[in-house]
Amino acid sequence: MEAFNLNRVPLRFRSRTQPLRAWLWTLSLCATVVLARNPTPTPTPKAKAKGDGWWSLKPVVRPALPDGAPANPIDRFLQVEFRRRGLQPVGPAEKQTLLRRVHLDLVGLPPTPAEQEAFLADTSPDAYGKVVDRLLADPQHAVRYARHWLDVLRYADTDERMTAAPGIHLWRDWVIQALHEDVPYDQFVQVQLSGRRAQERTQMSATGHRSRREPRPGDEFALGFLARGTGESPQDLAIAAADTVSTAFMGMTVGCAKCHNHMYDPISKREYYAMKALFDPLVLRKVTLASADERIAAGKAQAEVARRRAPLEKELEEFTGPFRAKLREDRVLMLPSEVQVVIRKSERQRTVEEQKIADDYFPILRIDDDKLREAMPDEARKRYQELQRRLNASNSGTNAIRVPNLPVFHTVEVDRQREQEKSYILTSGDPTRPELDHEVKPGWPFSSGEPDFRDGRIEAFADWLTAPENPLFARVAVNRLWQWHFGEGLHRSVSDFGELGGVPSHPELLDWLASEFVRSGYSMRTLHRLMVTSEAYRRASVADTSVAENQRLDPGNTTLWRFRLQRLEAEPIWDLMHSAVGDLDLKVGGPSFDPGTVGEAPLQRRGVYMVRGYSSNREVTPDFLQSFDVDDGRAPCPVRTQTVTAPQALFLMNSAGVARACAGVGARLRRDTAGDLTSAVDLAFRTVLSRPPSAAERQSALAYLEGDPDRLDRFAWLLFNLDEFLYVQ
Amino acid sequence: MSNSANLFGNPGFGTTPRREFLHRMGGGFLGLALGGLWAEAGEVQEVVVGPHHAAKAKSVIFLFMCGGVSHLDTFDPKDNKWAGTLIDAIGFGDNLASMRRPVIPCLRTFTRHGKSGTPVSDWFPHVGGVIDEIAVVRSMWCHEGNHFPAVIETSTGHRGRPFDHPTFGSWISYALGSANRNLPTFVNLGRPSSPVQLTGGYLGASVAATPFQAGETPIPNLYPPKGSSSAERDRQMELLTSMNREFRERHRVNTDIQARAKAYELAARMQLSAPEAVDFSGEPDHVKSLYGIDGKETQEFGKQLLLARRMAERGVRFIQVCHAGGGNGGWDAHGDIQAHAPLCRATDKPIAGLIRDLKQRGMLDQTLVVWTSEFGRTPWSQNTTGRDHNPKGYTSWLAGGGIRGGMVHGATDEVGYKAMVSPHYYSDLHATILQQMGLDPKRMEVQTLGRTVKLIEEGAPIREIIA
Repeated sequence: MEAFNLNRVPLRFRSRTQPLRAWLWTLSLCATVVLARNPTPTPTPKAKAKGDGWWSLKPVVRPALPDGAPANPIDRFLQVEFRRRGLQPVGPAEKQTLLRRVHLDLVGLPPTPAEQEAFLADTSPDAYGKVVDRLLADPQHAVRYARHWLDVLRYADTDERMTAAPGIHLWRDWVIQALHEDVPYDQFVQVQLSGRRAQERTQMSATGHRSRREPRPGDEFALGFLARGTGESPQDLAIAAADTVSTAFMGMTVGCAKCHNHMYDPISKREYYAMKALFDPLVLRKVTLASADERIAAGKAQAEVARRRAPLEKELEEFTGPFRAKLREDRVLMLPSEVQVVIRKSERQRTVEEQKIADDYFPILRIDDDKLREAMPDEARKRYQELQRRLNASNSGTNAIRVPNLPVFHTVEVDRQREQEKSYILTSGDPTRPELDHEVKPGWPFSSGEPDFRDGRIEAFADWLTAPENPLFARVAVNRLWQWHFGEGLHRSVSDFGELGGVPSHPELLDWLASEFVRSGYSMRTLHRLMVTSEAYRRASVADTSVAENQRLDPGNTTLWRFRLQRLEAEPIWDLMHSAVGDLDLKVGGPSFDPGTVGEAPLQRRGVYMVRGYSSNREVTPDFLQSFDVDDGRAPCPVRTQTVTAPQALFLMNSAGVARACAGVGARLRRDTAGDLTSAVDLAFRTVLSRPPSAAERQSALAYLEGDPDRLDRFAWLLFNLDEFLYVQ
Repeated sequence: MSNSANLFGNPGFGTTPRREFLHRMGGGFLGLALGGLWAEAGEVQEVVVGPHHAAKAKSVIFLFMCGGVSHLDTFDPKDNKWAGTLIDAIGFGDNLASMRRPVIPCLRTFTRHGKSGTPVSDWFPHVGGVIDEIAVVRSMWCHEGNHFPAVIETSTGHRGRPFDHPTFGSWISYALGSANRNLPTFVNLGRPSSPVQLTGGYLGASVAATPFQAGETPIPNLYPPKGSSSAERDRQMELLTSMNREFRERHRVNTDIQARAKAYELAARMQLSAPEAVDFSGEPDHVKSLYGIDGKETQEFGKQLLLARRMAERGVRFIQVCHAGGGNGGWDAHGDIQAHAPLCRATDKPIAGLIRDLKQRGMLDQTLVVWTSEFGRTPWSQNTTGRDHNPKGYTSWLAGGGIRGGMVHGATDEVGYKAMVSPHYYSDLHATILQQMGLDPKRMEVQTLGRTVKLIEEGAPIREIIA
């Protein structure tokens, strides 16, 4: 830690315009010094003073490209390890296998039979490259990768006390659109943190007056990221922001520092709360997304309903008034005399403390309907019920006026008053227990002196976070992209670059990719292309007896001598099934849907849009998602587990949803092949497994069908229950 | 379905012994977790964590009363001399200000039962009849004062969910693995308060609760949809195996692919064993009657407890039975404590029946029965005849499985608000169960998310109630 405390090093490198650059420059010197003292830092958790020379905090230095034949730099780096360990990587995957792999990876959808034919027929050297380019330009690629990011950013449609739930899908739509436009990653993060792109913050008028620019319309939806964190306490937003930002973009699990200094990572409790303080001034703001006409119409409807109710409400109030007054008086007399004095004052007469006492006693003095009823004689009770009935009837029946629900979105904004308030360390992370003698100033870990907050706290933080010199920012991001393509990160604990997360399998490759990412202007698409066109990505996934020697030398396949076999995630399974049925709706964007909704039209939208979240009294996340390890979105999910369980087998075998899909596939096959079973079997293999059947497979399928087209439903069941269906080879 | 259990032949993993194979391949957790779930009969030693010492109990029947039972009206009698007076409730719930609340009287009569003379209220006369088997702990406490956070705290041992903590039963499943290759290790009966009570969290879905119920479909998706014939399904299974053969050969050293074959095997076995487990036709009438299955109010819970006993007999390790779950839970009697009355009637006879039945079968010694809620209820009301949530002092009880029966341990203060004598944080209850299951509570930990996570941060078995 000593080495990182920049308050203790000469600050002559720091200029006001580029404090961060200067700081990191200084940091690199410090790191070098530490390294010189401790030339081989070992990753043992018991390690030494916090952060000393830890690999992830060292500046990214672009390593020289190793010599070798492969064209793709990724393969050059991998080759070094193969040679060193005497491994012989397996050959390339078959064309058909590769096509299914890259389709399910990049767009989450299988190749159509026509696409399969075209790819097999294309013998040009860049046939595969053309496929990759086509897929990356497809809007469905953004839909697929938005799902990955939203797991990390803990998207949920609903959560306990999540005020921002209505309209939250607009944040998802923003992410999809941003990925489709290949918005540079630094801007992708900037906008979600501050609602603005860095270059669009201030403007100069003709007279030289500086003012804040209006954010680009639509960018406010990116702030759903912060708004999603609202909860029971007003501090929840800031706590959620500090937690999520640090794991998602910095790979630092600072959550533990909430209660105590983080044992292994170089983040202190004070630094954690400094980060939280950045977000403390934020409050939720509800935005109505209706046109002026719609708003005016809704207002009119509301006024009319109120007008109809008013006389009846007045009558009801006059009638119940005396009963209420008596009940209240009885209860007030039960209270301690000093409390009675407070209660009898009007709100305006009470001091702040007195108002708090009055509020505390509110539940005792609140008169519920049933108590009111009990206090009435029979006659009065009848009259009371009649009045209530009339009030309820005042806006019902054929003349009833419906007040429309206007669509809304919740964004966040800086509250000027909260900005003036001080922030404190919270005891045990409890928002109600600030430690008043431990004030913290807004800042961030590894901070160098006083940050420049003239453009705003979060803007200053976002600038530091997304700067090319930040060693964590690019490393964490490219490692996630790698994980989504290869199934595991080069650094396995993708959200933990701290000391307990260990070290990456190929540190030089990771750094080369990070520097390439920065060099490309943070283009995620460039990195995607680089990764999926590597030999490593195109290798076969075979793990049979022919590779026993590799298996012995590297059983965990950390060197990537073969492609890692991956179980499909829930959403591609859903999409695959409905592609095979032929009813998948590929519309981009829009609200979430619940496949279990009874009575509504079938909602065969992509699995990405399937509702997820948490409620304390009902299941929100559908069985389909739960059966395949989708979390409720309460916490960031950096890696989807890929469990294989008996209830999951039963789900695929017997659930109503799978049965419906089988019937749908059967109907489609009968329709598209006009009862020709040989073509039906062929089409079934191509739509479900993305390959034609072998001669033997065709024969056994036809034997199973017994010449009866109605048996195609059952045949579809077989395909959906195959290992080959559920796995990407 | 007769032979489908064997349709998924082992695709042939060469000559490597399975355990060595799992160890070598899965490395750490996956292999171990599989070892837990897929252990063959007689292979129970192939488990993850324990046992660490000889176990007293083989199974736990964990009765969770959703919403918070009033200890004051059931197992913790107090003098009514405070009734009607206002008492200070400083620091209660979210109220840091001085807060005075009216204590309401307890309208129950308590009778000393059995040789031990432990007092039980007139709401639990049948449980009173077996009180000599029961150790009542009157000094439980936890932090959280609202249902959902308290359910998380009591079921996972952790407050809040910054991490995806598994529920207690999943830890048992993880640590001990299966004793019956045909049934899951951790089952849940009845509707829980929260899905958290079923989650395997970072221990994985393979150790999560499998929901079970008495009746025609004991497990979700157990049977093919209506209209399909079992002969047809047998044929499909056979064909599926042959269609999978080439793929499985190609990925023969992949643990996931092996696990998938095993998952279909267990699914097929459960199709045979689950209906047998829920089939009460072989149970004599006097046994059903013991559980109150012949009574209108008691039959639902009675069936669940009879099913729980049958699960314990078949080697299921952790049987969680949730009563009155959903939302805040049926026991959440803010408005009127009399709302407890029908719930007590519905559970009293079945619970006593379970204990008697276990006893007469000689199973009580190896079966730990635990009765608890997420918290208790306050001595005072919120301007009603009901009681508020009280995490500061409440009652849980245990029976069988090496627990000393006929005793009362710990005490709350004079009004029944705070645990005063021998207070036990909820983790102590977890630790006690672990101890009786042969597990060292201190060693229940796992490496996940780059750190060591413990089930029990602070807590130890309640020694005084262990025989």
